[in-house]
Amino acid sequence: MLNVTRVRKTFASVIAVDDVSLNVRRGEILGLLGPNGAGKTTTIRMILNIIPPDGGTISFDGREFSEDTRDIVGYLPEERGLYRKSKVLNTILYFARLKGIEADEANRRGYKWLERFDLLTAFERRIDELSKGNQQKVQFIISVLHDPQLVILDEPFSGLDPVNQVVLKDTLMELKQQGKAIILSTHQMDQAEKLCDRICLIDRGKVVLEGSISDVRNRYGRNTLHIEFSGDASFIPRMPWVKTSHLYENSAEIELNDHEHVSTILRELAGRLEITRFENSFPSLNAIFLNLVGGAPGTNGRKEGTG
Amino acid sequence: MRKTFTVARWEYLERIKSKAFIISLFLMPIIMVTTGVLPTLLASRPDTESKVIAVIDQSGEFEGELSHVLKERFVLPNGQPNYILRPIPVDPSGDVSGARRLADSLVIAGEIEGYVILPMSMMTDTTVEYRSENIGNFKITERLTGVIRDVITERRLRERGFDPTVVKELTSPIELKTIKLSKTGQEEEAGFAQVFFTAYVFMMMMFFLIMTSGQILVRSILEEKSNRVIEILLSSCRPRDLMAGKIMGLSGLALTQMGFWVAIGLAVSVKFSITLVPFGTAMLLGAYFVLGYLLYASIFVAAGAPVSTEQEAQQINSYLVLILVIPIVVAFVAVQNPNSTLIRILSFIPVLTASMMVLRIPIQMPSALEIILTMVVLALSGLGAMWMAGKVFRTTMLLYGKRPSLREFVSLVRSRER
Repeated sequence: MLNVTRVRKTFASVIAVDDVSLNVRRGEILGLLGPNGAGKTTTIRMILNIIPPDGGTISFDGREFSEDTRDIVGYLPEERGLYRKSKVLNTILYFARLKGIEADEANRRGYKWLERFDLLTAFERRIDELSKGNQQKVQFIISVLHDPQLVILDEPFSGLDPVNQVVLKDTLMELKQQGKAIILSTHQMDQAEKLCDRICLIDRGKVVLEGSISDVRNRYGRNTLHIEFSGDASFIPRMPWVKTSHLYENSAEIELNDHEHVSTILRELAGRLEITRFENSFPSLNAIFLNLVGGAPGTNGRKEGTG
Repeated sequence: MRKTFTVARWEYLERIKSKAFIISLFLMPIIMVTTGVLPTLLASRPDTESKVIAVIDQSGEFEGELSHVLKERFVLPNGQPNYILRPIPVDPSGDVSGARRLADSLVIAGEIEGYVILPMSMMTDTTVEYRSENIGNFKITERLTGVIRDVITERRLRERGFDPTVVKELTSPIELKTIKLSKTGQEEEAGFAQVFFTAYVFMMMMFFLIMTSGQILVRSILEEKSNRVIEILLSSCRPRDLMAGKIMGLSGLALTQMGFWVAIGLAVSVKFSITLVPFGTAMLLGAYFVLGYLLYASIFVAAGAPVSTEQEAQQINSYLVLILVIPIVVAFVAVQNPNSTLIRILSFIPVLTASMMVLRIPIQMPSALEIILTMVVLALSGLGAMWMAGKVFRTTMLLYGKRPSLREFVSLVRSRER
């Protein structure tokens, strides 16, 4: 569906996107991952033709961007907001009409979506009378009402309660079933892991990791321990068999050095901690992410959203 | 084009409900009536009942004559005298303080409009005191001054030995009747005040129209940028569709506003049977309105697109107001001499053209050549501004935070469209 080949974008002296290539097929969710300021938003804006790339090509089903392309993409920006003083249904209809949907049809679909997201009673209310979560649902409706072939969602789950997260997840799965191509930009690695078919990790404007979830995992092998425990685990990072580790209150993810004996390690850990879970498996996406982009995201001082 | 209309329709329907618009809709006519029409109406409106004016005549020689002349000269439409002179007796000792106290109390009680004190030596002393609660009523003071002056002059002449009939002839009052000539040679009776205020009202109308739309425009851009709706919009339509739609929607608003004002204006002029402007002039004014409006709308778009905070928006607005205020400031000069070189030169500065011409046309119709030339200048600069606004809009709508420097601004305008 979407083919992005070696696009570049420079702002003043900063190279925001450097030779990024990615593609999304129909019926597939691509996770666009990366720390803040990595160039995700700029990439998305270039795909949407909001800003022109300095180089490279972007094609939709093999064709270059044209005015008709605008009507087959849907976009949920990361930073949310709508016309505060306008009514919910009116706003939805406006954006639907901008995407070329006739008023009657837009009206019919609008009610259907509002019902689905439990907002039917709010259709006459003003946007600023809705809660943040509900505003976000309205904005999601706007991004999909015109039945787009390519849906680009930037952090769609943030700000939603667990119930609505499930509704949204089911909706995404349904869109996928319908053969839409979906780009999901997120920082929530566990979500990406569960939802995405493939991922594309961008750091400092470059693609640093790309492939299906299982590919990526296999590439990193089964030398990761996932443990749950009670007790003081602060000694773990100093152990000789640890390559890298991520400690949490009652759990840890440990990447082992090569050729370590897992059973020895289990015995050692059991001697010092109350182990409730011990699993030797693939690394989590989160650990891969942290290892690849070097520590905490967002420490490189660049701010996303200026381009 | 379809998207342009969608945007225009949305902008129109959403803004027409906004407080800013509704306020401006009513504010302008109120200001128009209070600053323009009201004083003219009040000044030219005859009194409906006689006014009592008291006189303390220290010499006792003038009261009778004064009363006679006032009655003769100023008559109400119903035939009653406009002013009735009520003498207040003076103490034989010549002390006026008692009479004055009495007169003061009459003024305060509202029984008399005011009173004059004629000094003992009226023939040499040229100062006459008029005391009233309302000394701002220039109609009364002007008339009283005239009558007293005429009476004294007549008396002085008679004392020098002139024949009373000759004196009458010599001192007959002169009335100034002002007649405005239009290009076609038609005469119409109009006072300075009426001409001035008509011109002024049209200019103020334009000022308000542009200000309201400009502010709404900058605010709507600011809102879309701050809530990032702009990203959804720009992913749905071309920047130029968005800009054209906004300008179109706002022009619709301006038309609504103007239609409303014209309706009020017509109602007022029918009610008080004043002709503000002939039809042809109105059409000409309308043309300047539209051209001036488009130029300003483009300027507002170009100036507003890079804005990303409320503070910047206000700054931009105040700069633009400054330009718009110039014609209001020079209006007085323009009225006295609408064809002065300064006014003519100002008429060719695009941002001033519309207001200057709207001001000049009701006062004295400029030459056809000047009208054509200014229209061409205005239309061309409007097109130029729109082209530039399109470029700036396209490139700066996504700039948040930092406002581009002048240099960046210039390079944005010159950058090639993709």
